Amino acid sequence: MRKTVQRYYPLFPVFAAYFILFLVGKNVSGMWQLVSTLLFYCALGQAFNIFLGMTGYVDFGYVAFMGVGTYGMAIAITRLAHVEALGVLIVAIGFAMALVMAALLSVAVGAVALRLRGAYFAIATIGVNEGFRFLIEGAKIWNGSDGMIFTAQLNQILGRETASALSTFWADVIVLIIAVLAAFVTLFYMKSKIGYALTALREDEDAAVVMGINVTKYKIIAFITSASFAGLVGATSWALKTPYVFPPEVFEIHYTIEAIIIVLLGGAGTLLGPVAGALIYGISKYYLSIFLPGFQLLIFAPIIIIIIILFPEGVIGMLKKSFRDSTLMRFII
Amino acid sequence: MLRVRELESGYGPMQVLWKPSLEVKKGRITTLLGPNGVGKSTFLTTVFGSIKPWGGKIFYEEKDVTLVPTHKKVEMGLVLAPEGKHLFLNMRVYENLSMGAYVKKALAHKEESIELVYSLFPRLKERKNQLAGSLSGGEQQMLTIGRALMTKPELIMLDEPSQGLAPLLATEVFKTILKMKAEMGLTILLVEQNAEASLDAADYVYIMHEGVIKAEGKSEQIRNSSEIREAYLGV
Repeated sequence: MRKTVQRYYPLFPVFAAYFILFLVGKNVSGMWQLVSTLLFYCALGQAFNIFLGMTGYVDFGYVAFMGVGTYGMAIAITRLAHVEALGVLIVAIGFAMALVMAALLSVAVGAVALRLRGAYFAIATIGVNEGFRFLIEGAKIWNGSDGMIFTAQLNQILGRETASALSTFWADVIVLIIAVLAAFVTLFYMKSKIGYALTALREDEDAAVVMGINVTKYKIIAFITSASFAGLVGATSWALKTPYVFPPEVFEIHYTIEAIIIVLLGGAGTLLGPVAGALIYGISKYYLSIFLPGFQLLIFAPIIIIIIILFPEGVIGMLKKSFRDSTLMRFII
Repeated sequence: MLRVRELESGYGPMQVLWKPSLEVKKGRITTLLGPNGVGKSTFLTTVFGSIKPWGGKIFYEEKDVTLVPTHKKVEMGLVLAPEGKHLFLNMRVYENLSMGAYVKKALAHKEESIELVYSLFPRLKERKNQLAGSLSGGEQQMLTIGRALMTKPELIMLDEPSQGLAPLLATEVFKTILKMKAEMGLTILLVEQNAEASLDAADYVYIMHEGVIKAEGKSEQIRNSSEIREAYLGV
């Protein structure tokens, strides 16, 4: 019993960080907007870490899963808004749609791309989001490049007040819940046979094969899990917060790159890393754009380079290495 | 125990194996000898399933395993200690060993397997808390074999275990291989370039040249045939 509890110790610092973030946002006036962005980055990092961190594969098409998740929510709301009886349930259906659509896309992409290794995988995935975006625009799927706007439908079914509370407050709370769930799943994977297999394959895929690990299976598990969370994040942070969806916005590779930066800054394959990375990235981006508008990228790039040089394994990765055997490390993985 | 019939495989358009056949008998050390680049490693990786065979058949314990995926073969008791080591260099010695006990039956015997590996390689016990990357070449070779043993194999395939080792260390590795056969009852398929030492250890020898088996026989026969020695082994 004690052992089972101890296994979950590393969740404490993660939850503590989220809790503090939430309190600050709720009680300090004017902070909610920043906190909402930070929660988005945390959830994004935590979700991406399940794949990038645990397998060591870089997926440049990651944002496509968020985009598809956004569409899942949008479709559910636009198609079902006339069923008055649904009420808030429509959001739950939207999440189910987002989850299923992101998972299906990840199976399709994974089945092909996961046969490739390392850099070849990365190159193969670069085209995924662009390809998907052009498919939607060109084939006029889901309104094509006109996108979908569903503010009216959301107001109609939830009522104006609930709809506005959803987009200004509850959507962020849901993002927080998704981030917590992703952290939980990450730890569960780490402590189970899946994590064992993924560690082996990240360190040396050939060795993992020799040990009798079905590497393809575990890569696909991590890929689908990570993509499903991305779908949920998209459905919340994009579809619920801003009730419209346009292909160029939700398939913007920029978000994939942000996710990669967050995971690497914090420490790939660690539980606390994505949170640390999200906070460092989000806070510095926010304040740089306030104090030095227009120059933030110019200053941000060297900051990232310096951090990567100082902490090649990320901030948390470095901490882990320096305090390998101390009790502190029971709480940080 | 293992029967390979007219195996064909290669990389891309290049065929490497031209129908070699080979049999490994239970409880014996069978050696596949030959110089660099004749397809010995390709043979092992094809048998193990990392490379898909183009043709031919592979039987393990009378079952056709030609197209069985690698991880299933490990569960069946077949394992490969790969060339070039492939250790987890950032992990400690005992962590590397624990990683080896992945398949179900191996996990159940993890602790005894670790003790067994330590008794076979006392050096690894001394260094169990060291990072694998900080081991010497010989110790890394021991760890590679040790980790393969952690899967509880019945047949272990060793790809050039003496490669890159000083003669003294190489002798030690061959001694251990003999011990694995005598004390653990393992069946061993050994791939080597080191003709002298592996002829001493082997029960039965196959000689490979350009993807074909050129000669086979008990190791005394091979040793005593000056023709074979001169033509293929250069000793």
